[in-house]
Amino acid sequence: MNTVRLAKLALLHPITFFEDIQERAKWHYAFVMIGLAILAHYLSLTFSGFLFQTREPYQISILIESTWIVVPWLTWSVTNWGVSSIMDGEGKFKQIFVGSAFTLIPYITLSVPVAIVSNLLAKSEAMMYNGLEVFIFVWVVYLILLQVKIIHDFTFGKMLWITLLTIIGMFIIWFIGMLLYGLINQSIQFVIGLYKEINYRL
Amino acid sequence: MKRSTSKRAMAALLILVMLAMFALPNEAAAKSPYKGYTYNQSEETPVSINGYLYRDSIDGYDWDAGPFKEPEDLFVAEDDTIYAVDGGNNRVVHFDKSKRLLGMYGDSEGKGQLNGPKGVYVTGDGEVFVADTLNHRIVAFDREGRFVKEFGPPQSPLLGTDFVYSPSKLIIDKRNYMIVVSEGAYQGLLQIDPNGAFKGFFGANLLGFSWEKTIVKFMATQEQKEQLSNEKPPEFSNLIQDQEGFVYTTTLGIPTSQVKRLSAVGVNTLTDIEYGDHHMARRNWERLFPTFVDVTVNDNGVFTALDQTTGRAFQYDKLGNLLFIFGGIGEQNGLFKTPSAISETSDGTIYIADRTRGRIDRFRTTPFADKVHEATNLYVDGDYEKSAEPWREVLDMNSNYDLAYKAIGKALYKSGQYREAMDYFELAKARDDYSAAFLEYRKHYMRQHFAWIAGGAVALYILLKIGFRLYRKWRSKRSKSKIAVSEGGSAS
Repeated sequence: MNTVRLAKLALLHPITFFEDIQERAKWHYAFVMIGLAILAHYLSLTFSGFLFQTREPYQISILIESTWIVVPWLTWSVTNWGVSSIMDGEGKFKQIFVGSAFTLIPYITLSVPVAIVSNLLAKSEAMMYNGLEVFIFVWVVYLILLQVKIIHDFTFGKMLWITLLTIIGMFIIWFIGMLLYGLINQSIQFVIGLYKEINYRL
Repeated sequence: MKRSTSKRAMAALLILVMLAMFALPNEAAAKSPYKGYTYNQSEETPVSINGYLYRDSIDGYDWDAGPFKEPEDLFVAEDDTIYAVDGGNNRVVHFDKSKRLLGMYGDSEGKGQLNGPKGVYVTGDGEVFVADTLNHRIVAFDREGRFVKEFGPPQSPLLGTDFVYSPSKLIIDKRNYMIVVSEGAYQGLLQIDPNGAFKGFFGANLLGFSWEKTIVKFMATQEQKEQLSNEKPPEFSNLIQDQEGFVYTTTLGIPTSQVKRLSAVGVNTLTDIEYGDHHMARRNWERLFPTFVDVTVNDNGVFTALDQTTGRAFQYDKLGNLLFIFGGIGEQNGLFKTPSAISETSDGTIYIADRTRGRIDRFRTTPFADKVHEATNLYVDGDYEKSAEPWREVLDMNSNYDLAYKAIGKALYKSGQYREAMDYFELAKARDDYSAAFLEYRKHYMRQHFAWIAGGAVALYILLKIGFRLYRKWRSKRSKSKIAVSEGGSAS
């Protein structure tokens, strides 16, 4: 019940919400919100009309779709926490972790209705559908910026600067992640190859 | 003892089976060496039923004139007899569909001697025009094979000084002008009037725009730029003319619009279509691309283009929808080594010349192809309702044939069954058509259920209004009672 009340607050009074969340943040809120975001994403993929869904059902994997939500959220939380700690931000990791999860609340509430509405639209009315999608996106971005500003108690200019740094940091983390994946993969392949080679010779 | 009887029985059975193998006819065991497939909207290649199967070959070994050597071009005359350019033997051979030799063109000496001919065109009254490529001329013979006249290299300042005239293919249009493909002529097709005078280029290919080129041009030095401007538009490889006078051409070295249907003013009337295979193999890390060397069109506008890279023939309807793919590179009958020319006779048989093998292979339609042709001929003429029935039969045979779903959808749309049409368009992944049907369906639905929709909207509005008022009353009452409680009074 508490999560729902907080979600309502985040939706209707975001400024109060981010001030409140600094005291009331609990880890499990974050997991509930992310779970709901994944569910909403899945439902919106299921319900969107034929004209607005270019993929076939078999081309959609719920695992991959969830990583599109979970991975940016996790890297954002870690990077934002790291960057803001260096740059005199006041926010604690827990607050960022939970607050970031709540920034998805417009997507959670609106994506399914938009998907259902897309069933009533023709291709010439795609503008309307795209407009709604952009509206959700802008709202989420607004909440993210607000979160950075309030939780860390930054000025407007510093908020933009930290956000930019965070995004750059996220890309660096992804790049290193991919690099590590490739290297580890290769070294494992190497060991397996070595084992096979020796096995043949013996 | 027991074992030996069973052995004997086995031996007897074996002999019986071997005898049966000789006794049974084995002519029906013609399995096609290529598998039928088609492309769907998502660029996948679902299995399809073969539209064309190998029938037989014409190699000329039983003719007195001797066999073919490097056949280069085919031409089907109005009486369905076939003229084949026998490039290796420097002659043109005329035969009919029962493989009877009717005539030969090209003398052993004199003015009528050919040298590496590559193209032929025959007029309605039997005059044979041959593109005599290595002699840089076009030669005309009369019906009996006597030399009539020749057209040498055209003279014009438009052609430039380093222009080398190597005519390889030609047609004669309704004005009696010759339209000629000259090898290496990137400026377009040459128009030559009946007197042999050059009358300008026709239907030139254009250099496409590419980001790569733009960026390179931006960064290149002056000398590099000079080299860049030497880049030439792609050249034509072949041309034919349909009944209405449209000129179909094939072009080398471009990814789309390899086949063009040029109107009388040289404008391509087939929109940007990627012909040939969409997923080409790679060789040495380079992606191969289709090399269309010839195209043929029948009376209904169905055209078949021949790709030398994959050795496959691709058949399209008048609008450019893919119908069938057949052939391939290989040794078996039905596959080719170097396919060089394609032609279709009026009975629907397709002739494909193989330069390396020195023979002409014939392909017949399957019952499936006959059904598709019946349906598509009605469909491209806009007779959607009549075409629905054959399309349904096509689907009975092959449910992977997406064009059929689209066509049936159009028939349903035309007869006002929008909801059903939507289902068919969804199956065909035809989003634009689906959207059109959906708009009509929505309009009709709204009109039919107007009372309910309007009534429902009004009811919802009233309900929300009352609900809000009640909610507000309830909230204010609760907050009042809360204040009362906090002030130490009773809740009511």
